[in-house]
Amino acid sequence: MTTTSFTDTTTASWDDALSAIEKGYELGWSDGLPVVPPTTARVAEFIGYAARPPDEELGELPERRRVITVEKAAANAVMAGCLPEYFPVVLAATEAMLDPVFNLVGPSSSMGGAAVLCIVNGTVRERIGLNSRNNLFGPGNRANGTIGRSIRLILMNACAAIPGLFDRSVIGHPGKYTYCIAEAEGETHWTPLHVERGFDAGDSTVTVFAGESPRQIRAVGRPEAILYAMADVASSLGTSMSTSGSVGDVSVGIRQGQIVVTFAGNSNLWRDWTKDKVREYLHANIQRSVADLKRGLVLRGDIEPGDEAAMVSLIPEPEDILVVFAGGEESNMASVIPSWGPKVGSTAVTKAIRLP
Amino acid sequence: MHDGIHVEQAGLPSATICTDRFIPTARGMAKMWGAEDYPTIFTQHPIENLDRPALRERAEGLATEVAAILTGG
Repeated sequence: MTTTSFTDTTTASWDDALSAIEKGYELGWSDGLPVVPPTTARVAEFIGYAARPPDEELGELPERRRVITVEKAAANAVMAGCLPEYFPVVLAATEAMLDPVFNLVGPSSSMGGAAVLCIVNGTVRERIGLNSRNNLFGPGNRANGTIGRSIRLILMNACAAIPGLFDRSVIGHPGKYTYCIAEAEGETHWTPLHVERGFDAGDSTVTVFAGESPRQIRAVGRPEAILYAMADVASSLGTSMSTSGSVGDVSVGIRQGQIVVTFAGNSNLWRDWTKDKVREYLHANIQRSVADLKRGLVLRGDIEPGDEAAMVSLIPEPEDILVVFAGGEESNMASVIPSWGPKVGSTAVTKAIRLP
Repeated sequence: MHDGIHVEQAGLPSATICTDRFIPTARGMAKMWGAEDYPTIFTQHPIENLDRPALRERAEGLATEVAAILTGG
Protein backbone atom coordinates (compact mmCIF):
# COMPACT_ATOMS: atom_id res chain seq x y z
CA MET A 1 0.00 0.00 0.00
CA THR A 2 1.36 3.39 -0.90
CA THR A 3 0.95 6.35 1.35
CA THR A 4 1.09 10.02 0.64
CA SER A 5 3.61 12.18 2.39
CA PHE A 6 2.24 15.13 4.31
CA THR A 7 5.54 16.53 5.45
CA ASP A 8 6.45 18.35 2.26
CA THR A 9 7.03 22.08 2.25
CA THR A 10 5.46 24.21 -0.46
CA THR A 11 7.45 27.13 -1.80
CA ALA A 12 6.23 29.91 -4.03
CA SER A 13 7.54 33.15 -5.44
CA TRP A 14 5.91 36.50 -6.07
CA ASP A 15 6.62 39.92 -7.49
CA ASP A 16 5.22 42.27 -4.87
CA ALA A 17 3.43 42.33 -1.54
CA LEU A 18 -0.10 42.35 -2.90
CA SER A 19 0.49 39.46 -5.26
CA ALA A 20 2.14 37.58 -2.40
CA ILE A 21 -0.96 38.02 -0.30
CA GLU A 22 -3.13 36.84 -3.17
CA LYS A 23 -0.79 33.88 -3.66
CA GLY A 24 -1.38 32.97 -0.02
CA TYR A 25 -5.10 32.78 -0.76
CA GLU A 26 -4.53 30.74 -3.93
CA LEU A 27 -2.43 28.22 -2.05
CA GLY A 28 -5.06 27.84 0.64
CA TRP A 29 -2.86 29.16 3.42
CA SER A 30 -5.36 31.69 4.74
CA ASP A 31 -8.01 31.63 7.45
CA GLY A 32 -9.96 34.10 5.33
CA LEU A 33 -7.87 37.12 6.27
CA PRO A 34 -4.72 38.20 4.43
CA VAL A 35 -1.56 36.41 5.53
CA VAL A 36 1.85 37.99 5.88
CA PRO A 37 4.07 36.46 3.17
CA PRO A 38 6.22 33.83 4.90
CA THR A 39 9.50 34.61 3.23
CA THR A 40 12.30 32.15 3.90
CA ALA A 41 14.29 34.94 5.56
CA ARG A 42 11.46 35.87 7.91
CA VAL A 43 10.78 32.23 8.82
CA ALA A 44 14.48 31.74 9.50
CA GLU A 45 14.47 34.83 11.70
CA PHE A 46 11.70 33.34 13.86
CA ILE A 47 13.49 30.00 14.14
CA GLY A 48 16.70 31.81 15.02
CA TYR A 49 15.00 33.83 17.73
CA ALA A 50 13.66 30.70 19.40
CA ALA A 51 17.10 29.07 19.02
CA ARG A 52 15.64 25.70 18.18
CA PRO A 53 16.38 23.41 15.23
CA PRO A 54 13.93 23.88 12.34
CA ASP A 55 13.28 20.15 12.07
CA GLU A 56 12.68 19.67 15.80
CA GLU A 57 9.38 17.88 16.24
CA LEU A 58 6.88 19.63 18.50
CA GLY A 59 4.52 16.69 18.42
CA GLU A 60 2.34 14.73 16.08
CA LEU A 61 -1.26 14.28 15.11
CA PRO A 62 -1.12 10.56 14.39
CA GLU A 63 -4.70 10.22 13.12
CA ARG A 64 -3.82 12.58 10.27
CA ARG A 65 -0.23 11.45 9.84
CA ARG A 66 1.08 14.90 10.68
CA VAL A 67 4.30 15.73 12.46
CA ILE A 68 4.57 19.38 13.40
CA THR A 69 8.05 20.87 13.34
CA VAL A 70 9.47 24.17 14.54
CA GLU A 71 9.73 25.28 10.91
CA LYS A 72 6.05 24.56 10.19
CA ALA A 73 5.06 26.51 13.28
CA ALA A 74 7.35 29.39 12.30
CA ALA A 75 5.88 29.73 8.81
CA ASN A 76 2.40 29.99 10.26
CA ALA A 77 3.44 32.40 13.00
CA VAL A 78 4.93 34.64 10.31
CA MET A 79 1.74 34.42 8.25
CA ALA A 80 -0.35 35.27 11.32
CA GLY A 81 1.56 38.52 11.76
CA CYS A 82 3.61 37.63 14.84
CA LEU A 83 6.84 39.28 15.85
CA PRO A 84 9.79 36.93 16.40
CA GLU A 85 9.60 37.43 20.17
CA TYR A 86 6.07 35.99 20.19
CA PHE A 87 7.25 32.76 18.61
CA PRO A 88 8.29 30.93 21.83
CA VAL A 89 4.69 31.30 23.02
CA VAL A 90 3.41 29.81 19.77
CA LEU A 91 5.84 26.91 20.11
CA ALA A 92 4.74 26.13 23.66
CA ALA A 93 1.07 26.37 22.73
CA THR A 94 1.65 24.01 19.80
CA GLU A 95 3.44 21.52 22.03
CA ALA A 96 0.58 21.77 24.51
CA MET A 97 -2.17 21.12 22.00
CA LEU A 98 -0.24 18.14 20.61
CA ASP A 99 0.01 16.58 24.07
CA PRO A 100 -1.95 13.30 23.93
CA VAL A 101 -4.30 14.25 26.78
CA PHE A 102 -5.45 17.28 24.79
CA ASN A 103 -6.51 14.82 22.07
CA LEU A 104 -6.31 17.41 19.31
CA VAL A 105 -8.06 15.26 16.74
CA GLY A 106 -11.27 15.68 18.75
CA PRO A 107 -11.59 19.45 19.18
CA SER A 108 -10.05 20.11 15.75
CA SER A 109 -12.56 17.98 13.88
CA SER A 110 -15.72 17.76 15.92
CA MET A 111 -19.10 19.17 14.99
CA GLY A 112 -18.95 20.84 18.43
CA GLY A 113 -16.87 23.66 17.00
CA ALA A 114 -14.23 24.24 19.64
CA ALA A 115 -11.39 26.72 19.49
CA VAL A 116 -8.04 26.37 21.23
CA LEU A 117 -8.00 28.98 23.98
CA CYS A 118 -4.46 29.96 25.00
CA ILE A 119 -3.97 31.42 28.49
CA VAL A 120 -0.52 32.91 29.06
CA ASN A 121 1.12 33.36 32.47
CA GLY A 122 4.48 34.60 33.67
CA THR A 123 6.94 37.32 32.79
CA VAL A 124 6.58 36.78 29.05
CA ARG A 125 3.32 38.72 29.28
CA GLU A 126 5.09 42.02 29.98
CA ARG A 127 7.99 41.13 27.73
CA ILE A 128 5.82 40.90 24.62
CA GLY A 129 2.95 43.14 25.72
CA LEU A 130 0.15 40.62 25.99
CA ASN A 131 -3.18 42.07 27.04
CA SER A 132 -4.87 40.78 30.17
CA ARG A 133 -7.24 43.66 30.77
CA ASN A 134 -9.73 45.76 28.75
CA ASN A 135 -11.18 43.91 25.74
CA LEU A 136 -9.74 40.67 27.03
CA PHE A 137 -11.26 38.62 24.22
CA GLY A 138 -11.58 41.56 21.89
CA PRO A 139 -9.40 43.22 19.27
CA GLY A 140 -6.60 45.73 19.52
CA ASN A 141 -3.50 43.90 20.68
CA ARG A 142 -0.97 42.46 18.27
CA ALA A 143 0.46 39.78 20.57
CA ASN A 144 -2.90 38.36 21.59
CA GLY A 145 -4.31 38.63 18.09
CA THR A 146 -1.44 37.06 16.21
CA ILE A 147 -0.45 34.34 18.69
CA GLY A 148 -4.02 33.07 18.72
CA ARG A 149 -4.20 33.33 14.96
CA SER A 150 -0.97 31.36 14.64
CA ILE A 151 -2.60 28.45 16.41
CA ARG A 152 -5.52 28.49 13.98
CA LEU A 153 -3.21 28.64 10.96
CA ILE A 154 -1.11 25.78 12.34
CA LEU A 155 -4.29 23.79 12.79
CA MET A 156 -5.43 24.51 9.24
CA ASN A 157 -2.13 24.37 7.37
CA ALA A 158 -0.10 21.86 9.35
CA CYS A 159 -2.77 19.74 11.04
CA ALA A 160 -5.26 19.55 8.13
CA ALA A 161 -8.09 21.02 10.21
CA ILE A 162 -9.61 22.45 7.06
CA PRO A 163 -13.19 23.67 7.37
CA GLY A 164 -15.59 21.31 5.63
CA LEU A 165 -12.95 18.65 5.21
CA PHE A 166 -11.49 17.53 8.53
CA ASP A 167 -12.86 20.39 10.62
CA ARG A 168 -16.58 19.60 10.66
CA SER A 169 -17.74 22.36 13.06
CA VAL A 170 -21.44 22.93 12.57
CA ILE A 171 -21.37 26.47 13.95
CA GLY A 172 -17.94 27.18 15.43
CA HIS A 173 -17.32 30.57 17.01
CA PRO A 174 -15.24 33.72 16.48
CA GLY A 175 -12.52 32.40 18.79
CA LYS A 176 -11.56 30.08 15.98
CA TYR A 177 -9.87 33.05 14.31
CA THR A 178 -7.86 33.92 17.40
CA TYR A 179 -8.28 33.06 21.08
CA CYS A 180 -5.38 34.11 23.29
CA ILE A 181 -5.48 35.88 26.64
CA ALA A 182 -3.12 36.51 29.55
CA GLU A 183 -3.81 36.49 33.25
CA ALA A 184 -3.45 39.82 35.11
CA GLU A 185 -1.53 37.94 37.75
CA GLY A 186 0.28 40.94 39.19
CA GLU A 187 -2.97 42.68 39.98
CA THR A 188 -4.60 40.13 42.24
CA HIS A 189 -3.89 38.25 45.46
CA TRP A 190 -5.04 35.08 43.73
CA THR A 191 -2.49 32.39 42.90
CA PRO A 192 -1.65 32.52 39.19
CA LEU A 193 -3.03 29.72 37.03
CA HIS A 194 0.38 28.31 36.16
CA VAL A 195 1.43 28.10 39.82
CA GLU A 196 -1.77 26.27 40.63
CA ARG A 197 -0.90 23.87 37.83
CA GLY A 198 2.53 23.04 39.24
CA PHE A 199 4.89 25.61 37.74
CA ASP A 200 7.10 28.11 39.53
CA ALA A 201 5.93 31.71 39.78
CA GLY A 202 8.99 32.74 37.73
CA ASP A 203 8.10 30.43 34.84
CA SER A 204 6.27 31.60 31.77
CA THR A 205 3.64 29.17 30.53
CA VAL A 206 0.76 28.73 28.18
CA THR A 207 -2.32 26.69 28.99
CA VAL A 208 -4.44 25.38 26.13
CA PHE A 209 -8.11 24.60 26.56
CA ALA A 210 -10.59 23.35 23.95
CA GLY A 211 -13.35 25.81 24.55
CA GLU A 212 -16.68 27.04 23.37
CA SER A 213 -17.11 30.81 23.11
CA PRO A 214 -17.02 32.98 26.23
CA ARG A 215 -20.35 33.91 27.73
CA GLN A 216 -20.19 37.23 29.58
CA ILE A 217 -21.56 37.44 33.10
CA ARG A 218 -22.88 40.88 33.83
CA ALA A 219 -23.52 40.51 37.52
CA VAL A 220 -21.56 42.86 39.73
CA GLY A 221 -21.51 44.11 43.30
CA ARG A 222 -20.92 41.14 45.55
CA PRO A 223 -18.86 37.99 45.00
CA GLU A 224 -21.79 35.77 45.91
CA ALA A 225 -24.00 37.45 43.31
CA ILE A 226 -21.37 37.07 40.59
CA LEU A 227 -20.79 33.41 41.43
CA TYR A 228 -24.51 32.71 41.65
CA ALA A 229 -25.03 34.13 38.16
CA MET A 230 -21.93 32.36 36.88
CA ALA A 231 -23.14 29.00 38.16
CA ASP A 232 -26.53 29.65 36.59
CA VAL A 233 -25.00 30.33 33.18
CA ALA A 234 -22.60 27.41 33.41
CA SER A 235 -25.45 25.09 34.30
CA SER A 236 -27.30 25.80 31.06
CA LEU A 237 -28.72 23.01 28.99
CA GLY A 238 -27.11 22.96 25.59
CA THR A 239 -23.47 23.27 26.54
CA SER A 240 -21.23 20.38 25.73
CA MET A 241 -20.96 19.61 29.44
CA SER A 242 -24.70 19.07 29.74
CA THR A 243 -25.19 16.85 26.73
CA SER A 244 -25.57 13.12 26.62
CA GLY A 245 -23.42 10.50 25.02
CA SER A 246 -20.78 10.33 27.70
CA VAL A 247 -17.53 8.81 26.60
CA GLY A 248 -16.22 8.92 30.14
CA ASP A 249 -17.91 7.81 33.31
CA VAL A 250 -21.09 6.26 31.92
CA SER A 251 -22.59 6.08 35.39
CA VAL A 252 -23.01 9.86 35.27
CA GLY A 253 -24.93 9.86 31.99
CA ILE A 254 -23.75 13.28 30.85
CA ARG A 255 -20.47 14.41 29.45
CA GLN A 256 -19.07 16.47 32.34
CA GLY A 257 -16.22 18.69 31.24
CA GLN A 258 -13.73 21.25 32.39
CA ILE A 259 -14.52 24.94 32.39
CA VAL A 260 -12.60 28.22 32.30
CA VAL A 261 -13.95 31.17 34.26
CA THR A 262 -12.51 34.69 34.13
CA PHE A 263 -12.96 37.49 36.64
CA ALA A 264 -12.34 41.13 35.70
CA GLY A 265 -12.35 44.40 37.60
CA ASN A 266 -10.73 45.18 40.91
CA SER A 267 -9.43 42.12 42.71
CA ASN A 268 -10.17 43.76 46.05
CA LEU A 269 -13.79 42.66 45.68
CA TRP A 270 -12.52 39.10 46.10
CA ARG A 271 -10.32 39.82 49.14
CA ASP A 272 -12.15 37.22 51.26
CA TRP A 273 -12.05 34.61 48.52
CA THR A 274 -9.30 32.32 47.26
CA LYS A 275 -9.40 30.52 43.92
CA ASP A 276 -9.99 27.29 45.85
CA LYS A 277 -13.01 28.81 47.56
CA VAL A 278 -14.36 30.03 44.21
CA ARG A 279 -13.91 26.55 42.75
CA GLU A 280 -15.58 24.93 45.71
CA TYR A 281 -18.63 27.16 45.33
CA LEU A 282 -18.88 26.71 41.57
CA HIS A 283 -18.37 22.96 41.63
CA ALA A 284 -21.19 22.59 44.13
CA ASN A 285 -23.53 24.80 42.13
CA ILE A 286 -22.85 24.03 38.46
CA GLN A 287 -25.40 21.29 38.20
CA ARG A 288 -28.77 20.43 36.73
CA SER A 289 -31.68 18.40 37.97
CA VAL A 290 -32.34 14.94 36.58
CA ALA A 291 -35.81 16.20 35.65
CA ASP A 292 -34.39 19.04 33.54
CA LEU A 293 -31.86 16.73 31.93
CA LYS A 294 -34.73 14.42 31.00
CA ARG A 295 -36.76 17.34 29.61
CA GLY A 296 -33.81 18.19 27.40
CA LEU A 297 -33.48 14.54 26.35
CA VAL A 298 -30.00 14.53 27.83
CA LEU A 299 -31.08 11.65 30.04
CA ARG A 300 -33.66 9.16 28.84
CA GLY A 301 -36.84 8.13 30.51
CA ASP A 302 -39.93 9.60 32.07
CA ILE A 303 -39.62 12.04 34.93
CA GLU A 304 -39.91 10.11 38.16
CA PRO A 305 -40.67 11.29 41.71
CA GLY A 306 -37.49 12.74 43.12
CA ASP A 307 -36.04 13.77 39.75
CA GLU A 308 -36.66 17.47 40.40
CA ALA A 309 -34.53 17.35 43.53
CA ALA A 310 -31.86 14.97 42.24
CA MET A 311 -28.97 17.01 40.90
CA VAL A 312 -26.19 16.03 38.51
CA SER A 313 -22.87 17.90 38.60
CA LEU A 314 -21.68 19.08 35.19
CA ILE A 315 -18.01 19.24 36.22
CA PRO A 316 -16.03 16.20 37.40
CA GLU A 317 -13.94 17.79 40.17
CA PRO A 318 -13.31 21.30 41.56
CA GLU A 319 -9.82 21.21 40.02
CA ASP A 320 -11.49 21.06 36.60
CA ILE A 321 -12.52 24.69 37.00
CA LEU A 322 -9.69 26.90 35.68
CA VAL A 323 -9.96 30.28 37.40
CA VAL A 324 -8.30 33.24 35.66
CA PHE A 325 -8.15 36.84 36.85
CA ALA A 326 -8.37 38.87 33.66
CA GLY A 327 -10.48 41.50 31.93
CA GLY A 328 -10.97 45.23 32.13
CA GLU A 329 -10.59 47.19 35.32
CA GLU A 330 -13.86 49.01 34.66
CA SER A 331 -16.16 46.40 36.16
CA ASN A 332 -16.18 43.09 38.00
CA MET A 333 -17.70 41.37 35.00
CA ALA A 334 -16.84 37.75 34.46
CA SER A 335 -17.08 35.07 31.82
CA VAL A 336 -17.71 31.38 31.47
CA ILE A 337 -16.11 29.19 28.82
CA PRO A 338 -17.45 25.64 28.76
CA SER A 339 -15.20 22.95 27.41
CA TRP A 340 -15.73 21.53 23.97
CA GLY A 341 -16.31 18.05 25.29
CA PRO A 342 -15.92 15.68 28.17
CA LYS A 343 -12.74 15.81 30.20
CA VAL A 344 -11.71 12.39 28.92
CA GLY A 345 -12.16 13.76 25.39
CA SER A 346 -9.88 16.74 25.93
CA THR A 347 -8.08 17.95 29.03
CA ALA A 348 -6.40 21.33 29.44
CA VAL A 349 -2.61 21.22 29.15
CA THR A 350 -0.01 23.70 30.44
CA LYS A 351 3.51 23.88 29.00
CA ALA A 352 6.51 26.01 29.89
CA ILE A 353 7.52 28.68 27.38
CA ARG A 354 11.22 28.35 26.59
CA LEU A 355 12.41 31.93 26.38
CA PRO A 356 15.76 32.47 24.63
CA MET B 1 -12.94 5.78 8.77
CA HIS B 2 -9.63 5.88 10.57
CA ASP B 3 -10.44 2.84 12.67
CA GLY B 4 -11.98 0.89 9.78
CA ILE B 5 -8.95 1.45 7.57
CA HIS B 6 -6.59 0.39 10.35
CA VAL B 7 -8.58 -2.73 11.19
CA GLU B 8 -8.49 -3.64 7.50
CA GLN B 9 -4.76 -2.97 7.33
CA ALA B 10 -4.29 -5.23 10.36
CA GLY B 11 -5.83 -8.07 8.38
CA LEU B 12 -9.38 -8.03 9.70
CA PRO B 13 -12.13 -7.33 7.19
CA SER B 14 -13.99 -4.13 8.06
CA ALA B 15 -17.00 -2.26 6.75
CA THR B 16 -17.43 1.41 7.58
CA ILE B 17 -20.74 3.23 7.42
CA CYS B 18 -20.72 6.99 7.06
CA THR B 19 -23.53 9.47 6.55
CA ASP B 20 -23.47 11.26 3.23
CA ARG B 21 -22.75 14.71 4.66
CA PHE B 22 -19.29 13.36 5.50
CA ILE B 23 -18.31 12.08 2.07
CA PRO B 24 -15.43 14.56 1.56
CA THR B 25 -14.11 13.87 5.05
CA ALA B 26 -14.31 10.10 4.55
CA ARG B 27 -12.63 10.27 1.15
CA GLY B 28 -9.97 12.62 2.52
CA MET B 29 -9.19 10.29 5.40
CA ALA B 30 -8.93 7.31 3.04
CA LYS B 31 -6.58 9.25 0.78
CA MET B 32 -4.52 10.39 3.77
CA TRP B 33 -3.91 6.74 4.67
CA GLY B 34 -3.25 5.60 1.10
CA ALA B 35 -6.52 3.68 1.02
CA GLU B 36 -8.42 5.49 -1.74
CA ASP B 37 -10.21 2.28 -2.67
CA TYR B 38 -11.32 1.48 0.86
CA PRO B 39 -14.99 0.50 0.51
CA THR B 40 -17.22 2.87 2.44
CA ILE B 41 -20.98 2.63 2.74
CA PHE B 42 -22.72 5.96 2.69
CA THR B 43 -26.16 6.38 4.15
CA GLN B 44 -28.48 9.35 4.15
CA HIS B 45 -27.71 12.02 6.74
CA PRO B 46 -28.71 12.46 9.56
CA ILE B 47 -29.02 9.48 11.84
CA GLU B 48 -28.66 11.21 15.21
CA ASN B 49 -32.37 12.04 15.40
CA LEU B 50 -33.53 8.51 14.61
CA ASP B 51 -35.17 6.54 17.38
CA ARG B 52 -34.17 2.95 17.96
CA PRO B 53 -36.69 1.31 15.59
CA ALA B 54 -35.81 3.73 12.79
CA LEU B 55 -32.10 3.23 13.34
CA ARG B 56 -32.58 -0.53 13.29
CA GLU B 57 -34.52 -0.26 10.04
CA ARG B 58 -31.70 1.80 8.54
CA ALA B 59 -29.11 -0.73 9.67
CA GLU B 60 -31.08 -3.63 8.25
CA GLY B 61 -31.25 -1.87 4.93
CA LEU B 62 -27.46 -1.75 4.86
CA ALA B 63 -26.83 -5.25 6.16
CA THR B 64 -26.50 -6.90 2.75
CA GLU B 65 -23.94 -4.36 1.66
CA VAL B 66 -21.99 -4.75 4.91
CA ALA B 67 -21.96 -8.54 4.53
CA ALA B 68 -20.79 -8.26 0.95
CA ILE B 69 -17.86 -6.06 1.92
CA LEU B 70 -16.88 -8.26 4.85
CA THR B 71 -16.96 -11.43 2.75
CA GLY B 72 -15.32 -9.84 -0.27
CA GLY B 73 -18.45 -10.37 -2.35
